Amino acid sequence: MSEVQRISLDAITPGMRLGEMVYGPMQREDFKAYADASGDDNPIHQDEEYARNTGAPTVFAMGMLPAGYLAHAVSDWFGGPQHLRRFKVRFTTRSWPDDEVICNGRVTSIEGNVVRVELEARRRGDGPPELDLEREQVALIGEADIELPE
Amino acid sequence: MGERELTFDLPVELGHVQDFARAVGEDNPVFFEAEVAEQHGFPNVVAPPTFTTTQIFHVPRDRRERELGANLDYDRVLHGEQEFVYKRLPVAGETLRGRMRIARDFTKEGKRGGSMRFVTYESVFTDEAGDEVLTAHYTLIETAKDVG
Repeated sequence: MSEVQRISLDAITPGMRLGEMVYGPMQREDFKAYADASGDDNPIHQDEEYARNTGAPTVFAMGMLPAGYLAHAVSDWFGGPQHLRRFKVRFTTRSWPDDEVICNGRVTSIEGNVVRVELEARRRGDGPPELDLEREQVALIGEADIELPE
Repeated sequence: MGERELTFDLPVELGHVQDFARAVGEDNPVFFEAEVAEQHGFPNVVAPPTFTTTQIFHVPRDRRERELGANLDYDRVLHGEQEFVYKRLPVAGETLRGRMRIARDFTKEGKRGGSMRFVTYESVFTDEAGDEVLTAHYTLIETAKDVG
């Protein structure tokens, strides 16, 4: 569960960290629900055999699923989605069934009433044993601009 | 580049907005309840910030390739980046018009020898009044045929 924060412009300073938010652990059913809702029906996210034939040890999340969690976190940090003016993500590694997604943000600048935030989402979990992954890895990095009322 | 363009309609349906919001773990009632959305100044339930990725229902890969012709080898393609620039968020009940084109297409040498090609699709969404709502940039990376 999340809680929408009430935040005003004068309470924000560069360098300020926004409260960590944790989503998941993601299950295969979450990949299916996202596929059905988003139209991303690439079988690599749902079909074990298909995924293995491409060389992956199992299915993995479509990047836009943790990206959706990260957008959720940004929206909750700044009082809802209505102030969002830009949201950008770059995918750095795949995330896997049973991974949690840990979202963090830090204010980098304030220009007028536009707050710029750098974003990071880490995957946390054992991952497929075949891959011998670090337990935590940065899965997405990003940036958002939020225009707050004066 | 950018001389070819495709257009499509993206209906923002209430049930679809709610399903999408649930799929990304949203629990803010502005994505589910019209009354709450109205209290926040929206005419109806709001679509989550990444909702327009559902454009793939209207422009699946085959149509995109046929009409814009990036000629990508999808066995080697990854989703590299995604960006949205908002004037406002879409709301349930409206139909957006999307105009999609290839905004950038370049190749750069990778660290381990093979080159990588970056293709960015730009989709500009306008509302029924013709006003811009948001622009989405969808960047695919085609990795090298032979890596090291």
